[in-house]
Amino acid sequence: MKKVFLTTMASLLFFLAQAQSQFTLSGYLTDASNGESLIGATVYIDEIKGGTVSNVYGYYAITLPAGSYNIRYQYIGYEDKLQQVNLTEDSKVNVEFAAQDQELEAVVVTAEAEDMNVSSIEMSTVELDVKTISKLPAFAGEVDIIKSIQLLPGVSTVGEGASGFNVRGGGVGQNLVLLDEAPVYQSSHLFGFFSVFNPDAVKDVKLYKGGIPAQYGGRLSSVLDIRMKEGNKKELDVSGGIGTIFSRLAVEGPLVKDKASFIVAGRRSYIDVLARPFTDILDGGAGLFFYDLTAKANVDINDRNRVFVSGYFGRDVFNFDQTQGFSWGNQTGTVRWNHLFNDRFFANFTGFYSNYDYGFSFGENELDKFEWTSQIKTYNFKPQFTYFLSPKNEVSFGGEALFYNFEPAQAIAVSLGDVTDISLDDRQALEASLYLSNDQKITGKLSVQYGLRWSYFNYLGPGRAYEFGEAVAGERRPVQSIQQFEAGESIASFNNLEPRFAVNFQLNPVSSIKASYNRMNQYIHLISNTVASTPIDVWQPSTNNLDPQQGDQVALGYFRNFKQNMFETSAEVYYKWTKNQVDYIDGADILINDFLEGDLLSGIGRAYGIELYLKKNKGRFTGWGSYTLGKTETLVDGINYGSNLTTREGGWYPTRFDQRHNFKLVGNYQINSRSSLGATFTYISGTPTTFPTDRFSFQGFVIPVLDNLRNNVRIPDYHRLDFAYTLENIWLGKKNTKNEDSLVISIFNAYARENPFSIYFSQGSDRLDPNQPVQTSGTQLAILGTILPSVAYNFKF
Amino acid sequence: MKNLIIILIAVFLISCEKDIFPDLGTSFEAVSVEAMLTDQGTTQTILVTRTQPYFQNEFPEKISGAQVFVIDEDSTVFSFVEDEVGYTWTSPDGNPFGQVGKSYFLVVEVDGARFVSFSQMGPAPEIDSIGWEFEEKNSFIVEDYYLAQFYASDFEGPGDAYWIKAYKNGQYLNQPSEITLAFDAGFGQAGNVDGVAFIQPIRQGINPFDVNEDNLLLPPYLIGDSVHVEIYSISPEMFFFLLQVQTQINRTGGFGELFAPPIANVPTNIINEDENDSEQVVGFFNVSAVTSLGQVLTEELAEEARQKFDEGL
Repeated sequence: MKKVFLTTMASLLFFLAQAQSQFTLSGYLTDASNGESLIGATVYIDEIKGGTVSNVYGYYAITLPAGSYNIRYQYIGYEDKLQQVNLTEDSKVNVEFAAQDQELEAVVVTAEAEDMNVSSIEMSTVELDVKTISKLPAFAGEVDIIKSIQLLPGVSTVGEGASGFNVRGGGVGQNLVLLDEAPVYQSSHLFGFFSVFNPDAVKDVKLYKGGIPAQYGGRLSSVLDIRMKEGNKKELDVSGGIGTIFSRLAVEGPLVKDKASFIVAGRRSYIDVLARPFTDILDGGAGLFFYDLTAKANVDINDRNRVFVSGYFGRDVFNFDQTQGFSWGNQTGTVRWNHLFNDRFFANFTGFYSNYDYGFSFGENELDKFEWTSQIKTYNFKPQFTYFLSPKNEVSFGGEALFYNFEPAQAIAVSLGDVTDISLDDRQALEASLYLSNDQKITGKLSVQYGLRWSYFNYLGPGRAYEFGEAVAGERRPVQSIQQFEAGESIASFNNLEPRFAVNFQLNPVSSIKASYNRMNQYIHLISNTVASTPIDVWQPSTNNLDPQQGDQVALGYFRNFKQNMFETSAEVYYKWTKNQVDYIDGADILINDFLEGDLLSGIGRAYGIELYLKKNKGRFTGWGSYTLGKTETLVDGINYGSNLTTREGGWYPTRFDQRHNFKLVGNYQINSRSSLGATFTYISGTPTTFPTDRFSFQGFVIPVLDNLRNNVRIPDYHRLDFAYTLENIWLGKKNTKNEDSLVISIFNAYARENPFSIYFSQGSDRLDPNQPVQTSGTQLAILGTILPSVAYNFKF
Repeated sequence: MKNLIIILIAVFLISCEKDIFPDLGTSFEAVSVEAMLTDQGTTQTILVTRTQPYFQNEFPEKISGAQVFVIDEDSTVFSFVEDEVGYTWTSPDGNPFGQVGKSYFLVVEVDGARFVSFSQMGPAPEIDSIGWEFEEKNSFIVEDYYLAQFYASDFEGPGDAYWIKAYKNGQYLNQPSEITLAFDAGFGQAGNVDGVAFIQPIRQGINPFDVNEDNLLLPPYLIGDSVHVEIYSISPEMFFFLLQVQTQINRTGGFGELFAPPIANVPTNIINEDENDSEQVVGFFNVSAVTSLGQVLTEELAEEARQKFDEGL
């Protein structure tokens, strides 16, 4: 397999070397005000009625026959740049874009060039820029990236407080979240109320829901690619804000003007600081806070070499006194090197280290305590190459090697001074991949992207491999034998080929039809058996007992723009089928369990739906509406078997995040040059849940009995209206033209709907006489059942 | 975990709950057997009833005319005779039921269906003593209070399981949050803490935390209160059963629901001998050895606890 791949790559390179009769126009596209590179800006060449876009590092290259060309550089929200180039040799044109006058172009919804959504090969992707996100109403007034992408078609969540997000009927653990190429295992602060990405440090957010290019892999559902700002290359900038939950501060500026820059951005929650004078809850070491720090520096060594170093450190701490509580945090460090072998051969080498850790402890003193910590360390090296072969072909290839070190539990229990170490062994795994992909414009109207990714996973010793015996479907499988493996020995290995394909047929300049297919494999699994995903959920590698998850997706879409790109519309249908979906036996023991694999079940899944999207890009009123009709189901033996009591053959059942209708409206009205009003409306069908039918008593407790059906009822629908009013230049901004400030007043859940998060069943908590029967009831829980106003002040100088 | 949830609720007083009574579908009235036999006393009772609609807040009705008996490994038959509440065995010679180490086989016959189960009586460790700790009032607990803990050690060797029941002033603490279980000396089979004193959360799992009308916690024990602790030896199967009962019925509400596993049936160790018979059965059969110890929190014991607190111990 590897051989075929290498041969293909070699012959391709040979082919590339032959194509020398043409010249390459290339360069970097940046923002004139701060030198930030612009992602996805277009380079349009009149003579060929086509062009290219800048990559995530702002680099573009296009290879053309010798000749004279009129080139139009475009980026929405910025002035177009026209350039005449007489191409007689390889040429470099770097372009700095100046922002358009705010008066003229009130707000832009995405920083995307005209009709890009129609002409680009990409489908099932959405991009948001921070400018847009910052004008949206936000929970507690805190601008939030993960919450914002939930306003896009096909994206949802199971409720407030739930970590992560669901894409096209996929689980939270099936999203690959990348911050400057490094994976973030847990994207939430305070469970799921806030996300860990500081909007002050983020430049660009792109979500791939389908048609995922070959360069990405490792998760089934989606890729959320978050790019951090590089830092102002021209002058020192300080920006920040004071919100209801966080205070933020970011400093960015040049290290060497136009050559090197840095950004450092931090946030900390301060509810604990504010609350301290009013309560003694926090005395004695109790704490409830979260913070994150993002730092990045980059140097343009010369025309051909740029180096980026970035880091993220975030932590949540919940302590109820000095020794008891729990905490989690992400740390990532990334080094990237952009290198141009020549003008048409762009390379990026990424190396990163990421550590996600979480744990809890309780006990009052050294003689009696329990401490548990867990972490996942990831080491990665990722070379990526792009060869701008010709105006018609752009070839990408590369690979990735990831080394995981899972530490599922470092745990001790101390009882009256007797220490028992109940730690689990570390687990190691290597994940590697190679990919090759080509973007090809076959005719002016037809373009295709085809690629292949080969992925490989090796679950390595030292460690123990368990063999489990048979059990009734849906019950714990007993351990049959244990085999010890030495360091570096392979316990189980897998490899898979993942074809990727996308096609765009442009009907005319403003409409196109696109289709895509992708296969994804996921080798590490999020083990979560709670109503909502939480930060203490466990990640588990594929093993001899746990096969990698595999998913296929086909999607078909129609894209149409109206009125000179003022309105963008799209309709997409998708169908996904998956195998080796992880589920759990009833009563699965997930934490600190060596025999966890005996509690896991495996099933198949399917998800399908239609997504409609309408966006208004220009004018005083901008915004979008999105509607998703979707269904997602799982089939697992031993679950949802109803009356098949002997075979326990399962029936299809809706997943916890199966939400039939998902409707979002987002609007922003620029009242005048200083103020704007934003509103969002969300409507999502109720999530499925399970109700008991019967009860029985045992030793004074009343226990629910189910008819062995799963998720057969729905909790009531979720809907919510939020507002945000932004007033600019109120104090700092008034004094000096360079300074900016704004006040954002938000109202979350404007009509105070008690949106149900879950319905649970329980017995009453009164202490009863033995001759009184126990009372049972159902309880509908709303996590945020009230209107939540908030104020935030943001500044920049 | 409980404390954490209180902090979260204190910080975010915005979650809200309401009681609802949705339509739950047709009740299927399975046979329910509660057979928790012990080596204490001269009578033992087994309850045979049917499950009832979840919202039916009544005592379940006894199934009349069932045949109920237990056979031990020496083929001694213990016949249970129907009475007003259930089916009761009375010692013919004044000796209590059962013996540690022996195995027992349960048979319940209902309308031609035969339900059987099996249990072995494990040993229960003696309780060495009861200790008291003094704590000052704080944001959660309205006045100065005393915490009780019992001292006992797990037997050497993995696989022992216990259910610790507590009584305050003679009242059995039977809230779902008051189910205290031990697998060896720790919480579960997975993290095997074996052959040592029960870990502290288990030793202290005998304190009631009731709330007053302002949702503040009342002191678990004050001077003059009594505590009585019982350790029941249970089978590992019963441990997993009770663990799941606890998961299913101990609902903290509020933010705690984020951590709640999905509702599911709890297991049973009682089976219908005829695989093809559609009559379902729920419940559990266990034969326990029981040890116990009680103590009144006297002025002297309280003074001792306060002194220790003052000395910072």
